[in-house]
Amino acid sequence: MTGFVLRRLAWVLPNIVVLTFLLFAGVSGWVGSPAAMMLGTDASPEAIAELNRRFGFNDPVIVQYVRWVGGALRGDLGRSFSTQQPVADMIGPALPVTLELALWSIIFAVLASIGLNSLTWARRAIGAATTGVAIVCITIPNFMLGASLIYIFAVWLGWLPTTGWVPWSEGALLHLKHLILPVVTLFAFYFGSFTMVYRAEYRSVERQLFVRVAAAKGLSEGAVSFRHILPSAALPVVTYVGLSLGQLVGGAVVTETVFSIPGIGRLFVSAIGSYDYPVILAVGCIVLVGVMLINLLADIALAAINPQIRL
Amino acid sequence: MTARRFRLSIGFTLVGMIALAGLLAPWLAPFDPNASGWNVLSGASERHWFGTDDLGRDVYSRVLHGAQVSLVVGPTAALVAALIGVPVGLLAGYARGRLNTFMVQVIDVFIALPGLVLALIITVMVGATMRNLVLVLGFVMWPEFARLVRGQVMSVRESLFVEAARAIGCRPARVLARHVWPNIMRTVAAQLAIAVSSAIFTAASLGFLGLGLPPPVADWGGMVQSGFDYLSINPLLSLAPGGAVALTVLGFYLVGRSVE
Repeated sequence: MTGFVLRRLAWVLPNIVVLTFLLFAGVSGWVGSPAAMMLGTDASPEAIAELNRRFGFNDPVIVQYVRWVGGALRGDLGRSFSTQQPVADMIGPALPVTLELALWSIIFAVLASIGLNSLTWARRAIGAATTGVAIVCITIPNFMLGASLIYIFAVWLGWLPTTGWVPWSEGALLHLKHLILPVVTLFAFYFGSFTMVYRAEYRSVERQLFVRVAAAKGLSEGAVSFRHILPSAALPVVTYVGLSLGQLVGGAVVTETVFSIPGIGRLFVSAIGSYDYPVILAVGCIVLVGVMLINLLADIALAAINPQIRL
Repeated sequence: MTARRFRLSIGFTLVGMIALAGLLAPWLAPFDPNASGWNVLSGASERHWFGTDDLGRDVYSRVLHGAQVSLVVGPTAALVAALIGVPVGLLAGYARGRLNTFMVQVIDVFIALPGLVLALIITVMVGATMRNLVLVLGFVMWPEFARLVRGQVMSVRESLFVEAARAIGCRPARVLARHVWPNIMRTVAAQLAIAVSSAIFTAASLGFLGLGLPPPVADWGGMVQSGFDYLSINPLLSLAPGGAVALTVLGFYLVGRSVE
């Protein structure tokens, strides 16, 4: 097991370095002269040269990268060009918002897809339609679902607030009310894909011998489904959570923009809009590193469960 | 009719409708999609089926013309992705030993990357033109092709006819082209349809986030975004183009999933 973890680390860590370097070189090369951007269009060439020298923008990219990583590891991600705030202070409050949104969506999606597709009466009643519903959930763009939900529940029925975000500290009820529509929007894709994965697995587990034994010894349909099929059919769903993380990030970016939620996704989109390169760089790297580390954890968890993978 | 056939026919119907809308847009559209007028933000009416937007342009005409953009961007981007991904997948599937392990891990790294975020960063760097959009989407989507093709090649590789071809001295290139490729073509074709749907999905998301084709092109994602502030006045400004995206994506996805 230790060997497996070390082997994975030996692959993932260099990847993180290479990818973040490519991102750094790409973004800083594209910006060209950050000094000119910071000082505005009517800055004198001398002032630009002076600033370039002071911040080391003239150094080779690799030197700048090492300096940036050094700062990042100490929690210094530079200052935003547009707000002059330290980038770390902008990301700090945004990250928990996105994580909360993502966590609710995934938890509900796992529970709903596994639960609904294990209940035997539900399988009988809506089984045929489930695949269709799942496909619609997978393909509907977040912005379309979000806009429709806002129109129906906020504009038309007036039950829920249209957009915005209220932190826990200002009232749990208000917080949850603002959370419902964005969570449903993000939930849809996961519900759809988990349902597809789980149903396929359910069908193959259903045919196995131990399930027939369980049914033959007189267990009720529900008990067979929940106690015997569910535990073995649910594993691929858990694997899939790790695999589809990239999709989740994209979904969060769009959903936060639709609902004006002050998370990391909206921060990223507004940074893209204002060419705020320290923020683009920092968020890009956090997402990259986060996705790769969580995938690594998922790999390790799977290897712990299933020894075959360790080879 | 099986569920699969049923889904396939729905998929083909949707794709056919969108294709017709795009091809016939110049004749079907009652107005010039870019002609602004004094009649701004009017609701749905006999004259303007989906109403008019904030510049007084006819939304129905713009939605029809938006189909053209999606029908160009989607298939070409999918093609670009296949042109990168299929050779990589063939190589990764057919190679053995160290090269195989390396290719697999490279594909895995790229698959895990968040496509939309990558597309956002690259698009803002290179600028949102039709050509760039196609290349960026192709670049973001190639790993899916590579993974799929690799898996298929791995299973075909072990079959007897491949072994026989190798035994009579066929070179790897010939084995791949004449013996492996015909067996995986169908899967690649199915993936092509799915890639079209995800390209249209991602292109519309980019448009919604403000990185679509620059105005005045009728870009569905951009239309959803600009209509967003007027949801309470005329929801169709957003929901009509948004619905068009959803139906197009659904159509191509159904075709891909049912052929597979």
